[in-house]
Amino acid sequence: MVRNKRVGAKASVLAAAAALLLSACGGAGVDAEASAAPSGDAAAACGSYAIAMHAWVGYTASAQVITEVAKANGCDISQVTLAEAGVTYDAMESGSVDVVVEDWGGGRWQEWADRGALVEVGTNGNIGLIGMFVPQWMADEYPDITDSANLNKYADLFITDESKGKGAWYEGPPGYTTIGEKMISANELNYTVISTGSEQALIDVFTKAAADKTPALGYFYEPQNFLAKVPLARIKFPANDWTDAEQASGLTDYPESPLMKLATPKVMDANDAFTKIVKNFTWTNDDQNQVAADIESGTDPAVAAQKWIDANSDKVAAWLK
Amino acid sequence: MSVRTEPVIAVAPKTIRRSWLVGGLFLAWIALAQIFQGKATLELAVPENSTFTAWAGEVADSIRDNRTDGFAFKYFFNPIREFVDGFVNIIREFIAIPNGSSSIPVLGWLGVISVIGFVVFAVSNIRMAFAAVALTFACGALGLWTDSMDTLAMTFAAVILSLAIGIPIGIWAGLSDRVLKAVTPILDLAQILPTLVYLAPLALFFLIGPASATIATMVYSIPIAVRLTAFGIRGVPTSPVEASTSMGTTKRQLLQKVQLPMSSRTIIMGVNQTVMAALSFVVIAALIGAPGLGKPVIDALIIRNVGEGFVAGLAVVFLAIMLDRSTSAAITKKDTFVPPSEADRKRRKIALIIAGITAIIGIVLSRQMAWAAFFPKQIDISKPVAEASDAGVIWVTENLELLTAGLSKAVTVGVLNPLESVLANSPWYLTIAMISLLSLILGGIRSAIVSATLLLAVVATGLWYDTMITFTQTIVATLLTMIVGVVLGVWIGRSVRAERALRPILDAGQTLPAFVYLIPMLGFFGPSRFTAIATGIVYSIPIVVKIVGQGIREVPVNMVEAATSTGSTKWQLITKVQLPAAKKSLLLATNQGLIFVLAVVVIGGFVGAGGLGYLVLLGASKPELQGKGLVAGFCILLLGVMIDRIAQYMVARNSAPKH
Repeated sequence: MVRNKRVGAKASVLAAAAALLLSACGGAGVDAEASAAPSGDAAAACGSYAIAMHAWVGYTASAQVITEVAKANGCDISQVTLAEAGVTYDAMESGSVDVVVEDWGGGRWQEWADRGALVEVGTNGNIGLIGMFVPQWMADEYPDITDSANLNKYADLFITDESKGKGAWYEGPPGYTTIGEKMISANELNYTVISTGSEQALIDVFTKAAADKTPALGYFYEPQNFLAKVPLARIKFPANDWTDAEQASGLTDYPESPLMKLATPKVMDANDAFTKIVKNFTWTNDDQNQVAADIESGTDPAVAAQKWIDANSDKVAAWLK
Repeated sequence: MSVRTEPVIAVAPKTIRRSWLVGGLFLAWIALAQIFQGKATLELAVPENSTFTAWAGEVADSIRDNRTDGFAFKYFFNPIREFVDGFVNIIREFIAIPNGSSSIPVLGWLGVISVIGFVVFAVSNIRMAFAAVALTFACGALGLWTDSMDTLAMTFAAVILSLAIGIPIGIWAGLSDRVLKAVTPILDLAQILPTLVYLAPLALFFLIGPASATIATMVYSIPIAVRLTAFGIRGVPTSPVEASTSMGTTKRQLLQKVQLPMSSRTIIMGVNQTVMAALSFVVIAALIGAPGLGKPVIDALIIRNVGEGFVAGLAVVFLAIMLDRSTSAAITKKDTFVPPSEADRKRRKIALIIAGITAIIGIVLSRQMAWAAFFPKQIDISKPVAEASDAGVIWVTENLELLTAGLSKAVTVGVLNPLESVLANSPWYLTIAMISLLSLILGGIRSAIVSATLLLAVVATGLWYDTMITFTQTIVATLLTMIVGVVLGVWIGRSVRAERALRPILDAGQTLPAFVYLIPMLGFFGPSRFTAIATGIVYSIPIVVKIVGQGIREVPVNMVEAATSTGSTKWQLITKVQLPAAKKSLLLATNQGLIFVLAVVVIGGFVGAGGLGYLVLLGASKPELQGKGLVAGFCILLLGVMIDRIAQYMVARNSAPKH
């Protein structure tokens, strides 16, 4: 047995050595074939970058369009999935992520910007609006429900097994900008926050509420293609007085926020095609919804993005100037 | 109590008295909880910080500020991070990511598969080699070649580093009682600690990226390597050791020539367990930026895409089976004592040479030909697999809604809410007093002191209420797990055929990442506490069933035969003989069930279960609450230690020699 093992060991060492030797001298074959295709028209050199991917369809749409345009211009792009805020800014500081294409954080990154970990690159053209919504049928049946002052009057409608005898308030996922608890306590609302954990869980809640005509009160936002399919009515709280969620009193509504692009100094200093794309990228809520709708109906994000790029070559050309 | 005087009870006065006491205590607890309902619950609103969590947040901030030029970072954390990052990337460049200026890794897919086939053939046999090749190929066919290779690379990197640290410590602990005593509590702690808990603190020190993920994996897998190595060294029979010592061998020779070779089987088993532990970590490590299969699973969870999550989960299972079977085949091979004949050895040698040449051809091709370098896109079974699992979930959601909704409602209204009102919604001092009394009765004075101390520590952190919410969910999930687990465990313990039928399902259940079935659970039960509980049950049932089944099988045959010959019915046999005789296994199963459930119930924060898990997630995404998230992780640890200690004391008490 011992001898047998030794033979095996010897053979494997030999084979490994041979493999290393061979691999050291013959690597050019595939590279020649592979590099012939994609980098054909890219005259200007472009570096390799990582785009943060946040988990909502709108974000995927924006990030995928940037990815495809950058790739077509010779950049090497990878995508890193992370939750919004904290971890992502940390990732930018450590260099494992270079760009955020749609940040709702309202300035939460300031601390990282002060340390030089990231730079604010301006808005991406989308306007974000977060709010609390009910299915349209409720607004039709109880017309005054959309006024936040009347929420307590209807709290009984929203009671579930999970909500401790109060109305269920389905909150956005932890990674999103949320101030539900503050709104409830500041406005003395008779509701319990139920954390949903994911955008899809919210979509499920609203889809079910619309189909079965059951009551539901939950967090939602625009731009979101879902609103075109299942109409929701927004509850109106007093006009907003904040941009940074940490400073919000909770008495007022979520603000309309222009969505921001963030990038690392590495991107800003490179001055290559990717720098241009990140600096100039901007599109409308409508543009985003088109791509998002395709992704949601099952199209591969890369294909959906390419479709929009082909149809909007003028806009894309402007980003590259 | 007066029951003592009754003659019938005299047979086992102690146990009967104890169960009366426990019953009385529960009644008193429920009554008191009703009276003081909603008072002194210490509930802290989600956006608020306690003094302690605010302080923890400041500490975290100052750590962050020191990252670039703090002394500890410059000379300790950053060098470690750079080393680990570099090490991981070298391995990734071999099989997963483009190597240097090249557009492919060192090995294309055919090369990787050839090497895997050859290595598995060299350490075990040809059948295993083909199986390993097929499983690896299947990962590619699921359309996840690169992610699978990233996962494999991360696993290898973590395993190599874990073994490099774990085996020497294990040998040391195997040779010295003092060292063993010193490391045991640390090993215990590392095994109780739910993985979600140390991700955030590690990321604080090692930033987001492969380094943090690898180090987190090592925290999880080093204890296993240490434990099994020490166990192996200690298991070497004393006679060969004494014989060689008497012949004057040095300590070093003794270790090299006697102790290590004789314990090599256990050490390889340790390698196997380390590999499995590391692999099981990859999904959760994606939360702090680990590349690989965790990414699609987490994505799928967040957009609740059942099919996509299932496809990625399946790839994890394939890799797990491949690694598990090839490493355990190496153990079995060590066990064959029949010496191979001259002809056998010759044949084996020739076979190895042929396999080696084939592997080399594969490697060369994978570096020369595009078809052997990039996994062919035409081979893609991910769509049908995803569609089938989607369809399955939709079918259950639509057709079994009465059942799923009914089950969820029954557990929520019938068990969860009442228990929550006793544990969380009554005054904190009542809960602490009652839990301490309960552990006094069940586990003795030391376990009572441990419980009281740990619970008071929780109160001091300011997260008492959330801790009790999580505790409630853990208890309910464990109860349900034990009910199902004991039934199935008895079944497989009594029938070999049942064991054979359930085994693959149990194995798959243990390797499939919990995140994967969290996704359909969310579809079945919506955002609720029950979703987390159901996931915890699925995750912990395999281990409970295995331990209970083992315990039933180990009940001495003569006991069973004696009972059968006196005419016991099957039911009597199970309840009066087999289950009582397997009491120690039942306790161990409960302990493991609780720990496993706790580890998963916290990821329920992703699906609306609230409690500590939600705070951990919230802390990771909202800077103003990061201290709260870190402290919530710490409370999960306190809870785990408490549960584990009570159970340990109970086991010790029940296995103490009876007089």
